Amino acid sequence: MNRRNFLRTSGVLAAGIAALAASLSPLRELSDFSSAEEFMQKHYKELTPADMEKVLARISREVEKQYGLRPHVKDYKPMDGVEFVYCLNLTRCIGCRKCVHACVAENNQSRDPEIQYIRVLKMPHGSLDMEKGDHNYSPDMVPEKGFFYMPVQCQQCKNAPCVKVCPTRATWTEPDGITVIDYDWCIGCRYCEAACPYFARRFNWTKPKIPKERLNLNMSYLGNRPRKQGVMEKCHFCIQRTRAGRYPACLEVCPAGARKFGNILDPESEVSYIMRNKRVFIQLKEELGTSPRFFYYFDV
Amino acid sequence: MSERRRAAFLNMNDKKTDLVLAGVALAFLVLGFVFVIDIPGRAVVHPPPIPLVATNFVDPAPTRVSIAEKLKHGADPSDYDCYICHERNKPLKLKLDASGDVIVPSEHKDIVMAHGGHKRNNNCFNCHDENNLDQLQTRDGRQVKLTDLSPLSTPQLCGSCHGPTYRDWEAGVHGRTSGYWNRSMGDISRLSCVSCHNPHSPKFQGREPAPGPHPLHPVAKRPAPEGKAE
Repeated sequence: MNRRNFLRTSGVLAAGIAALAASLSPLRELSDFSSAEEFMQKHYKELTPADMEKVLARISREVEKQYGLRPHVKDYKPMDGVEFVYCLNLTRCIGCRKCVHACVAENNQSRDPEIQYIRVLKMPHGSLDMEKGDHNYSPDMVPEKGFFYMPVQCQQCKNAPCVKVCPTRATWTEPDGITVIDYDWCIGCRYCEAACPYFARRFNWTKPKIPKERLNLNMSYLGNRPRKQGVMEKCHFCIQRTRAGRYPACLEVCPAGARKFGNILDPESEVSYIMRNKRVFIQLKEELGTSPRFFYYFDV
Repeated sequence: MSERRRAAFLNMNDKKTDLVLAGVALAFLVLGFVFVIDIPGRAVVHPPPIPLVATNFVDPAPTRVSIAEKLKHGADPSDYDCYICHERNKPLKLKLDASGDVIVPSEHKDIVMAHGGHKRNNNCFNCHDENNLDQLQTRDGRQVKLTDLSPLSTPQLCGSCHGPTYRDWEAGVHGRTSGYWNRSMGDISRLSCVSCHNPHSPKFQGREPAPGPHPLHPVAKRPAPEGKAE
């Protein structure tokens, strides 16, 4: 090879490598590479109790590294003889959106960009069509005359479209009725977001930003542990509370007592009382056959 | 293969090719440089940062603080002793205006009477006992102490007229039931009627809502009228 050819070839090579580096330069912004341990982790359903201990310890370490606070991460198992159902009284809801923010605080959702599992729709009297709802209302006072308010969150469908379309089985329905997501198994394809008719699913477009002072340290593997960029999340009926026997955060904050939650298989529960005695609807796109576990009702 | 035959095969042994290749290589290098140090700047519009929500919107405290709650938290019981001003054993009489509505005495001017539509229940002594001001009276003759601390007694007063609501309240369906849905794992806490409803103006008060959802990207401006550039 002579000098000219050498120089020419090396020039072309350098240009080619420079072009490749330039085209890959956006990857410099990806800082959140998963550890080898996380990458090789098995699906939730395949984890042995010993594996789960290691996973929970890893999560605890990562949260402590990122936020400087030690969380309490647990894997809550479903209880026998329990099927959760949520009932919401549309006569009582005043549209204050406290449930939205209580959920955000309990479940460590990103504040900026904002993720909120619950969306409250301002509906005109006479229609239960979600398309007529307005979610951007901001009057001085709620409730406004001529409207009722309908909070929508994951309906935990018996026949969930999101579960059907997930290519990796990262989302599935648990025996107590909750549709859960294994955040370490989700690849972020967003098929479930497209399949859900209720806009229940949220995607982490960027790394979630949670202020340290508002971090909820009582975490669960399938529930409110901090997520990473590129995974889906949604309402999971506050799995860290409800599988410990408590009411979800949205119910605990509602000033009007519009939200009711419990075990439908227990005839003494509030939700059983409501199903027996109230005008209950499984509306919200009932015709799609999703069979939600979320029931809206009216009092009078 | 020999150098000459290779070059002839590739038709690359002339000066013009050299120049073109050098030009292309230079162009790529320049372009690569431009992208790496981001001369044009990313076309990302950052929306204004979203402020944290005010803490009152995540506070589970009930709407009102009832007298019973105030006493539980250390209020002075003599604030609620009617006989500091009123005489014992002297039954009170209501003053009514020309249309038959009750006139609230100026000493109690903080009380706004709005119980029931069309002022149906604006008679003080439908609930208060005119003979014994420490008590409230139900429709069926039972007494409830005004300062009773238990959330189980006030509902008996209100429930003596509002039957279906009382039935729902007893089932845990009217008003909030907090705590454990699984009663074997923990306790629940119930609220009395007056923790949410002002007994003189019971209609549940409206309030300011929390802010609505913030969009991921700034909402596009509407096109300006009359063909002006956006």
